[in-house]
Amino acid sequence: MAKRLQASERRASILAVAKVLFADKGYHGVSVDEIAVRLAVSPAVLYRHFSSKQALYEAVLSEIACTRENYVDVVVRGPDDFGGMLAKMTLMYVESVARDPDYLRMELHAALEGSQAARQFFENRWRPFADYIEFGLGELRKEGHLAGVDARIASLMFQGMVREALYAKIIYQADRFREYSLVDLVKQLVAMFLRAVGLG
Amino acid sequence: MTSSNQGFDQELDARGLNCPLPILRAKKSIAALGSGQVLRIIATDPGSVKDFEAFCKQTGNTLVSSGQAEGAYEFLIRKAS
Repeated sequence: MAKRLQASERRASILAVAKVLFADKGYHGVSVDEIAVRLAVSPAVLYRHFSSKQALYEAVLSEIACTRENYVDVVVRGPDDFGGMLAKMTLMYVESVARDPDYLRMELHAALEGSQAARQFFENRWRPFADYIEFGLGELRKEGHLAGVDARIASLMFQGMVREALYAKIIYQADRFREYSLVDLVKQLVAMFLRAVGLG
Repeated sequence: MTSSNQGFDQELDARGLNCPLPILRAKKSIAALGSGQVLRIIATDPGSVKDFEAFCKQTGNTLVSSGQAEGAYEFLIRKAS
């Protein structure tokens, strides 16, 4: 028989198990019954904490949102130049994703499953980069430090590059990049990006 | 140095900007102020409430007020002496 847990412990254990299953199979690939079986409880126990599978999924996303990167520290302490700041933000982000790889798997599933809320959530996680690059490059162009770069396309390039590095190291664990740590890989990519937009 | 009659010395419109841009722009604006002068910031990012609290805690500047009106957030920050 499953050990009796306090309500908060039970809720936390449901969220932890649900996150692993959603990461493995996506939202549509997991049933409430399956989560209950994995927890060795009845589905009724789950419904006491979450009104529906959708509510449980959103609670898992909300847990991730609570641990979102705090870029305030980077801004206060960080370098003031565009490239230095971008590098620090990026390292903070990839280290955070590396600590919780289930997040990345959930993002991949969400991209295919078509849930607007989930897609919005993951877009928001990337938003600081998109906004920072668009705004930062725009300002540099106005000040005459940069020419001929479409800031919006540059932000897409950056996002694709970092995302692919995360996939290679965390999802595929590719042999081809075995000799690079995730941090080294990202540092080199950021340096290449800055050279590509004319800031290297 | 004292603040002007309107209660602030400089204004920063950070509407439409998301973290970390409002904080980044505020940092630059505050750097240009004198000690004791006040910066008014208008922002729309809901995360800016927590962000400016953390920013002031870490920088030693004073969050004089923080409020919400007409779909935007208003912050008054006094630069540390």
